[in-house]
Amino acid sequence: MAAAMNVLRWWWGLVLAFALVALVRVFLPLPFANEIIIFSIYTMGCNYLLGRVGFISFGQPAYLAVGAYAAAFYLFYFGNNPYVGILIGVLAGIVVSFAIGPLFVRLRGDYFALVNLALAVIIFYLMQKVLADITHGDNGLWFLTSLTSTPVLDLTKPDHFFIFAFLVAFALWAFYKYLDDSIFGACCLATKLNEDKVKFLGYSSFNIRLFAFVIANTTTALAGAMYAVYLGFVSPEITSPARAADPVVVTILGGVGTLYGPIVGSIVYTGMKDVLSKVLGNWELVIGFVLVFIMLAGEKGIWGTLEPLIKKTFLRVTGNAADQGGSSR
Amino acid sequence: MMDTQLLISGVIFGLSLGGIFFLMTIGLSLCFGLMRIISLDQLLYYSIGGYITYSVSLAVGNIWLGVLGGVVVGGLAALAVERIVFRRIYDRDLPFTMITSFGVLIGGVGVIKYFWGLVPRPVPVPIDAQVFIIGTEIPVYRLVIIGIAGLVYVGIWLFLNRTIIGKAIRAGTEDVEHVEGLGINVYRLFTITFVIAGGLSGLAGGLHAPLIMVDPNMGLEVLAFVFMVVIIGGLGSIKGTLVSSFLVGQVVSIGSLVYAPLAQMAPFAIMLLILLVRPTGLFGSQMLKR
Repeated sequence: MAAAMNVLRWWWGLVLAFALVALVRVFLPLPFANEIIIFSIYTMGCNYLLGRVGFISFGQPAYLAVGAYAAAFYLFYFGNNPYVGILIGVLAGIVVSFAIGPLFVRLRGDYFALVNLALAVIIFYLMQKVLADITHGDNGLWFLTSLTSTPVLDLTKPDHFFIFAFLVAFALWAFYKYLDDSIFGACCLATKLNEDKVKFLGYSSFNIRLFAFVIANTTTALAGAMYAVYLGFVSPEITSPARAADPVVVTILGGVGTLYGPIVGSIVYTGMKDVLSKVLGNWELVIGFVLVFIMLAGEKGIWGTLEPLIKKTFLRVTGNAADQGGSSR
Repeated sequence: MMDTQLLISGVIFGLSLGGIFFLMTIGLSLCFGLMRIISLDQLLYYSIGGYITYSVSLAVGNIWLGVLGGVVVGGLAALAVERIVFRRIYDRDLPFTMITSFGVLIGGVGVIKYFWGLVPRPVPVPIDAQVFIIGTEIPVYRLVIIGIAGLVYVGIWLFLNRTIIGKAIRAGTEDVEHVEGLGINVYRLFTITFVIAGGLSGLAGGLHAPLIMVDPNMGLEVLAFVFMVVIIGGLGSIKGTLVSSFLVGQVVSIGSLVYAPLAQMAPFAIMLLILLVRPTGLFGSQMLKR
């Protein structure tokens, strides 16, 4: 009975959160809802790196492009099944992050950020110019019409795609929540706070960081593959340096290291982008100032500020494990 | 394999590009060395320098006056940002300052879009003359840029080694707390360094404006190259910045002669190689306090 209660307590927060997310689908137009879900998956990796491991990555678009192009190559040249395309995108993400991870995670935090951005630029030019014969350069690869319909959940239909993306996001959230509760999650947080002590306890900080790097970037690659299938085309624009900071901005906006930060950030960011670019035609101005304001006001972000308030009012629980990463530096 | 005329003009082109990179990254490097912040907003002062050059040269007709205006306005903008934003966050860790300065950069790009619009604007070249070097036609303006970059390096070197403020800045790069212990107001040093950095970034923007068109995203376009220069040279080292900016300039310029797509790729490949061998860049120090 007690075990059942614990399981229930573990799941109910997730279920409640996703019941609220499902409302997005009811109140907002479908393309907007899809964009939000994919974007929040995209941000999750960055959120984990920044909030749990202490790595700031300005190069997430690189891994997004790895997933997107892997899926696109398969769907354009070899097959038509969108599920296989997404699977190949994920595999590409794992392979690429394992290949470059050992080189990158050795670096100090500041160099890590800069090198990741450089990787995004390399992939941008690789896709735009060097591999132009395969990637069709700036025109991109178009395969929307050649995707085959699949039984049960038909990914070629936007409303079915939403259900799929929703399920994927839910699974990922459960996975990241599990990760937070596991020893591995504790080790990640510990390397962020004090690397020497982790080494002293006998853990390899290199291995911890490497696996966190692979997990986070595979998540990002998954988001890339989903973008590819959803939009039906991929162009180098996906990894353009001008968009390199999007996931970082959304992470900060939502609240660094919080579980639901990415989705809150994605809703606000996509909404602001959509509404403000119509009204002002100049949303960078607002995003920039909001970002600076959040950083100066204590870098907690929207969800990081709301979470304790919600807990206080509805749960009367204090000192939950979920808010340990948000405020610590 | 390559004819000499093309090679010489390529080298000159690379040197002038390196000069621009140097002026732009020296601010970032100084700020990192003294304050331990990564100040991405230097790219904003670069854009501001370009735009002020455009506006002033349109109004007055003298481009050099515009460049001077760019330096002044870049420095003033840096002063304002330092007072309002950076003063509060000097004691925070690096990723924090990086994100905050990126917010300033994005917001500033928004301000530029508000004032000048989205359309790229051309800036006329101040010196149309050409000189012949070993039978190759070289625009004088590019030589002038190389000269200015050299002068700035000498000036910075003299400033850091011969003046008392410069010596304090150098000492602060080694250990801020000791400098503070000597009774020097380090926050004033920070402000001075930041304003110098902003002014030099503005100078880079003003000088670069006639070679490219000024557009709101010009700062973001060079972002990757600036990063690369500071990574290769090592954060916080003036000499490293000089060497790596001219190295990157040459690689971009000569690389584009050999195989055009290589121009953008080759510097990044070199950067990854250098990081493999030396994770802190060519001249970066291994030990950094704070």
